[in-house]
Amino acid sequence: MPKRVRMVAQIVPENCTGCRLCEQVCPTVAIGMRPRRPDEPGKSRNIAMLAPEACYNAQACVEICQDNAIEMVELAEPFDVGFEYVGANDEAVKALCRKAGYGRTMQICVCTDTKAGEIAAAIVAGAHTPEAVSLATGARTGCVELCMNPILHLLACAGYGDAPRNPKNGFQWYGESATLWQHVRPDGTLPEEIRETFPEFPLDKEFGDMAKLKRR
Amino acid sequence: MATAATPFLDDLRPPAFHETWHKHRPAEVVKRRAADLPGMTALPVRALMPGLPGTIWSEDPLLGPTSLDEVRRQAKARAQAMDWTKIEQGRTVNLLANPHGFQLCGMAYVTMLEVIADHVRETRGAKVRLRIAESMGHIENPDWVKIYGLRERFGDVEECPQMGAGTKVDTKLGDMYVTRKLFDAPYFIHTHVTEMREGYLHRMLDRLMKPFGMAYARLETRSAYHFGFGPRTGQIVSRCIFESDFIQQRYVGTMVLDTTSEGVASVEADNDLKALDRRLAAGIMRNYGMAMKILGEIEDCVVVFDDHGCGVYCYAGGIAFDNMLCADVDFMDLDNLSLLAAERHDSAEPGLTMGKNAAIRGIVINYMAGGVPQPFLWDNYPIHVVGETVNKWMLNDPTNWHFERAKARVWPTLEQAVATACREGGTKNVIVFDRTPGAFRVTRELGEHLLARAPELRRKVEDVYLPKWLRQRGLAA
Repeated sequence: MPKRVRMVAQIVPENCTGCRLCEQVCPTVAIGMRPRRPDEPGKSRNIAMLAPEACYNAQACVEICQDNAIEMVELAEPFDVGFEYVGANDEAVKALCRKAGYGRTMQICVCTDTKAGEIAAAIVAGAHTPEAVSLATGARTGCVELCMNPILHLLACAGYGDAPRNPKNGFQWYGESATLWQHVRPDGTLPEEIRETFPEFPLDKEFGDMAKLKRR
Repeated sequence: MATAATPFLDDLRPPAFHETWHKHRPAEVVKRRAADLPGMTALPVRALMPGLPGTIWSEDPLLGPTSLDEVRRQAKARAQAMDWTKIEQGRTVNLLANPHGFQLCGMAYVTMLEVIADHVRETRGAKVRLRIAESMGHIENPDWVKIYGLRERFGDVEECPQMGAGTKVDTKLGDMYVTRKLFDAPYFIHTHVTEMREGYLHRMLDRLMKPFGMAYARLETRSAYHFGFGPRTGQIVSRCIFESDFIQQRYVGTMVLDTTSEGVASVEADNDLKALDRRLAAGIMRNYGMAMKILGEIEDCVVVFDDHGCGVYCYAGGIAFDNMLCADVDFMDLDNLSLLAAERHDSAEPGLTMGKNAAIRGIVINYMAGGVPQPFLWDNYPIHVVGETVNKWMLNDPTNWHFERAKARVWPTLEQAVATACREGGTKNVIVFDRTPGAFRVTRELGEHLLARAPELRRKVEDVYLPKWLRQRGLAA
C-alpha cells in the first residue's frame, strides 16, 4: 500500500549552519550539501540542499536540526510512494522472508503499513541498502524507528548486511541490533546459558505461546 | 481531598496546552476543552481506591500539597544517603532525564533533577550536564526546555533524539546501540518516574530499567525491542544494555519519583538499580492496579483525546490510554502474551492476546499530538475530529499516514463531534484523556457506574489480580 506524501522539507538558508546533521539522518538521502550563493543570507560556506522528489515527509531532518533551518511545507499536489508487488519474483521473495523468519504479510513498517513481502520484493528487485528500500517502498519514513531492525535483517539475509553507509559518516542506521530470536536453535529452543542468564523472564512460555498464534 | 459524600471533583481542571516542537499551538486552536462540556465531571481515583497513598506533591491543590518543599527535602535526603564516590573530583557527569518526567510530574521532576545536580556539584566538584532522552523527539513533545527554563536552571542542557549518533554496546546477546550523547561523559545518573506507561511492553519486569532499552537506545535497538523479542521478554534488551560493561563503567546511581495517579508519593533512590526496582515494583502495581482495571468496567463509551501525547500516550487519571485500549486482557498477568498488535492475529486461545476494545464506540480528537503510529485506532473505531486545523495536523503526521483511511469526519465544534459520536455509537458515556491528574474526566452517569463497580473490583484486585502479579514476579505482598 502506498504512502501519500503531503509535505516536504524546505531549507531556511539564513538559519542553516552547514552542520550536515540533516544529511546524516535522512532515511531517503534526500538532503545533500551545496555551496552557499553570495546573494543568500547566512554565514556558513555550505548549506543543505533538498531533492524534493526524494523527500517522503519523514521529518527526521526537522527533528535533528538544532538551528530551525528546516521547515515542512504542504504540497499543492501530494504524491504517492510505495512498491508495486506485481511482477516480483515470488519464489525469491518467499525464500527471503522464510530465511529472515518473517511471514510475507507481517507488518514491518507500522507508519506506512509496509509488509515484509513488499520489502523483500524491493530487495529482490535491486534495493540493496536501507535507503534504497525506503525509496522503493516508503517504509522507514515515518517514525524511522519501529521497522529499522527488520529491514536491516532482511537486507542481511539477502547478503547485503554490509552496505556502506550513505553518506559515509551518516547515522541513519548502523547495524542489526541483537535479538532473542537470533539465538533460537533449529529445534526451537534457546541455549541453556541464555535461559540461565535471564531466569526472571518466562522464556519457555514465550516461545510456546507465540507458536499458538496463527496468522489470518 | 474528596469526601465520601461528594466524591466528584467538578472544579478539577486539565493542565494547559503548550506550544510543541512543531510550533503547533493547540491553545490557540482548541476552542473548548472537553472538561467544559455539559455533564462532565472528574471522578477521583481515590474514590475508587480509598487506600491510595497520599502525595507529597500534586499538580492541583484539590489532590494534595503543591509545595515542592517535601520533594526537595526527600530528594536531598536520598542524595545524601547514596554513594557518589565513584565520581572522581572535577569530572563530568551526564544527568539523564526523560520527557515523561516533565509531562507527568512537572516541577517536582525539575526539583529532583536540581537537587541531584547541586549535590553532585557540591560533593564531587563535578560538572553536571542535563541530557534529555527524546523518545519520539520533537514531534511528540512540548518544548520542555523552554517551558521549565531548563537552560537557566542547569546551564548545559541538550536534548538527545533517538536518531542521533549512536554507540555500539557489546551485550550478553550481541551488539546493541545507545544514543551517544547520553553516555559521552565518564559518568551518568539515571532518573525516572514510576507511572504505569507502556505496561504492555515492560510488563513490570525491570520496569525502572526500561529507558536503557528504549529512551536511551538508538533506533536499531528500539526496533529490536519491538520485533526481536516476545511481548514478555522485550525488557531483556534493557537488562542487556544496563548490565553491559560500557554502561556499568559509567553508571553511578538512580533517583526516581514514585508516583500514583494523584502525583508524587515519594522520592526514592539507590545506587543498585535492580534493588530499587524490586523495592518499588509491588507498590507500583498496587497503586495503579485499580486505575488500570476500572477502565475494563466501562461497557460503552466515546473516548475524547484532548491533550499532548499521541493516542496510547494520552493520559487520564494518571494512566495512559494504552491501559484502556488493552483493557480486555490483563497485561500484568504473565500468563498472557498480550500482544498490542493482536487484533491482526487470530489466537488459538482467547484471552491470550489483546484485541479491539468493543466498549469504545467512537473516538473524538479535540487535540492529539503526532509522532507514534496508531493504525489500530484508525482501522477499528469511528473517528471524529474537531476543526480543520487539527485534522490537517493529523493528516500531515509522518507516522500516521493511515489516518487518511479512517475517513474521519471533521466537525466545527466539540459539542457536535461528541454528540454525533455518542449518537452513532449508541452511548451516553464519555471519557476524556486530557492529562487531568488523580481523576477520570467522565460524564456523570459513567462516573456513577464506575463508582458502583469499584467495591467489587477493588476486592478482585486485592484478592485475585495483585497476588497473582506479585507471585509471578517473586515479590512479597
